[in-house]
Amino acid sequence: MQFELRYQPAHTLAIVHLSPGEAIRAEASSMISMTSGLAVSTDGPLARGRGGLLRGMGRAMLGGESFFTNTFTAVGGAGHVTLAPALCGDLLVHDVRPGEDLLIQGSSYVAAPDTVTLDTQWQGMKGFFSGESLFFLRATGDGPVLLNAFGAIQTIDLDGELIVDTGHLVAFTSGIQYRVTTASPGLIASWLSGEGFVLSVTGKGRLYLQTRNPSEYGVAVGSSLPPREA
Amino acid sequence: MRHEILDAPNFALLKLRFDGAGEQAVAESGALVAKSAAVTVQTSLRGGLIAAAKRSVLGGESLFQNTYTAGAAGDELWLAPAAEGDLKGRVLSAGESFFLQSGAYLAHHGPELVVDTRWGGVRGFFGGLGLFLLRISGPGTVFYGSYGALHEVEVGPGGYTADTGHVVAFTEGLEYRVRPFGGAKGLFFSGEGLVCDFSGRGSVFLQTRSPASLASFLHPYRPVKARGSSE
Amino acid sequence: MQYAVEHGPVFAWLRVLLAPGDVLQAEAGSMVTRTPGVQMDTRLNAGRRAGFFRFIVAFFVALARKLFGGETMFVNEFSAPGGGEVVVAPSLSGHIIGKQLGGGRRLFVQRGSYLASTGDVDTRVRFTGLRTLLGGEGLVLLECSGDGEVFVNSYGGITEVPVDGTFVVDTGHVVAFDGTLDFQVGSVGGLKSLLFSGEGLVCKFRGRGTLYVQSRNLGALVDWISPLLSG
Repeated sequence: MQFELRYQPAHTLAIVHLSPGEAIRAEASSMISMTSGLAVSTDGPLARGRGGLLRGMGRAMLGGESFFTNTFTAVGGAGHVTLAPALCGDLLVHDVRPGEDLLIQGSSYVAAPDTVTLDTQWQGMKGFFSGESLFFLRATGDGPVLLNAFGAIQTIDLDGELIVDTGHLVAFTSGIQYRVTTASPGLIASWLSGEGFVLSVTGKGRLYLQTRNPSEYGVAVGSSLPPREA
Repeated sequence: MRHEILDAPNFALLKLRFDGAGEQAVAESGALVAKSAAVTVQTSLRGGLIAAAKRSVLGGESLFQNTYTAGAAGDELWLAPAAEGDLKGRVLSAGESFFLQSGAYLAHHGPELVVDTRWGGVRGFFGGLGLFLLRISGPGTVFYGSYGALHEVEVGPGGYTADTGHVVAFTEGLEYRVRPFGGAKGLFFSGEGLVCDFSGRGSVFLQTRSPASLASFLHPYRPVKARGSSE
Repeated sequence: MQYAVEHGPVFAWLRVLLAPGDVLQAEAGSMVTRTPGVQMDTRLNAGRRAGFFRFIVAFFVALARKLFGGETMFVNEFSAPGGGEVVVAPSLSGHIIGKQLGGGRRLFVQRGSYLASTGDVDTRVRFTGLRTLLGGEGLVLLECSGDGEVFVNSYGGITEVPVDGTFVVDTGHVVAFDGTLDFQVGSVGGLKSLLFSGEGLVCKFRGRGTLYVQSRNLGALVDWISPLLSG
């Protein structure tokens, strides 16, 4: 399996080259195109073990992620499938190794082979007036994970503490701890500041940030759109 | 007329420079970025259309088009598509056809170029979204934009399959068949879940982002209708 | 105050190194990261030398805009008594540029293009008509003056235009311009074009000075995506 990334950093496309017999699971709405010899099957909700939680969530809370996946298998010889997310931005491949899990912010996951297992970790906190919610996938196992970012990707090798706006978080390795806190002391100040919740991240490991915040973008554009049914 | 494309492939901008007074270019409404003060604009109904009350009937195309006329040699007209992405021009020879997704059309020049909106092509190519295929016939130059980067695929003997929401354009000479994709059709926002199988000889131009996916992402951020209001 | 624009020109963000005593004023909601020693205070952007009455008016306007979904007039001030670093980013894709102010120079910045400023920069809101007070058509500008640096962001790419004479720009594509330029907001053609052309208002610039134009426009994005929305 090889990942070829093109048109970086704004409109990145991932071309996943599959050798005969190889398969990749991808978030359902991420497929753009594929060679004709691939078999496709649609699977149920991505996360195992906390299916009940996922069922209770509306699509809105998942940031548009359907959490249904398609598995593409190269049955008739080598082939490729091209994947991309909904918003403009970059893609990256992170290799998960035994002993170092990757925690992925919900809407940043795109695809991975079956050698990587994904479980949900629901943080359960809705951002103050912003509609953001914190929802992580824990990736364990041995293999590559394809992640998307809204904007460009900043890679930080953290050793210490940093305050991070939740909407700018893509993923981080398991050596890093996080704590949810308000941006300003006081709720009114947090509302006015527009910052909502932030994370205090500490520890040693790798942190991936995106240079744009999807819910800020959603609010900036969405507020000018025609109204919808409740 | 000279043209220059800036900021490609990220936020491509089209700069046209007229060679003389009276030269014209036609553009999609909403595409104007800037112009020399002497360039005049005239709005007209797209030729041959029955005036429809709602803009949404035509999906990404408005009923009106703007014709810009130069006042002097060297006058400039700057145009940009609405979506974040790339922009390309295609020169078509007389009688040559090019199939273009309606929301991707930006502008054209060449008085004989025909933008055919009533061409009886595949209905529902883009699902229930209100986008449809335009058939552009030369001679002339057509400018089109994409949401995301433009990725050109040369269709080989094995054929190629693409999600219709990501199809921007394709050349004549290709056969195409639209079908539902996967079993989870009901989950997707209208328009997603359809793919097109291409075969024959030609090129398909894909965009690396899909407007339908953006619409789906933005949906929860829309204001909610007040209870009891009728639209 | 040291700063760097990173990840430009497509997804630029601004990294600022704060020494003790430095203050960075930034648009609400723009913070990405800050080191633990950085403090954030939220205040009303009524202008640095605002008197009491002006403050009250600004407060009610700001509250109205916030509640009715307009742009906020609250800003965040970042300072670090022991030194620190803060990163801020705009909501839309595009670039960031810093402009040095001083010596009586003024810079007009489109409301949505203001990201941050340093030092003793005064930002006063100017509405080009009563309708723009609540977010209608027209240009809402911030007049920046004083001493320090102003950071503006673009939606899309930024093109620097040296105006010497006249130039016409769609209002949605104006990022910023020198205070030396005269400007007038109006419709692109006659009355028919105002109603039907699909173009919004344009700004006619006259004189000598630098103008910054962006290659994407939020209003055009909304018009483009709206027909694709359901419900």
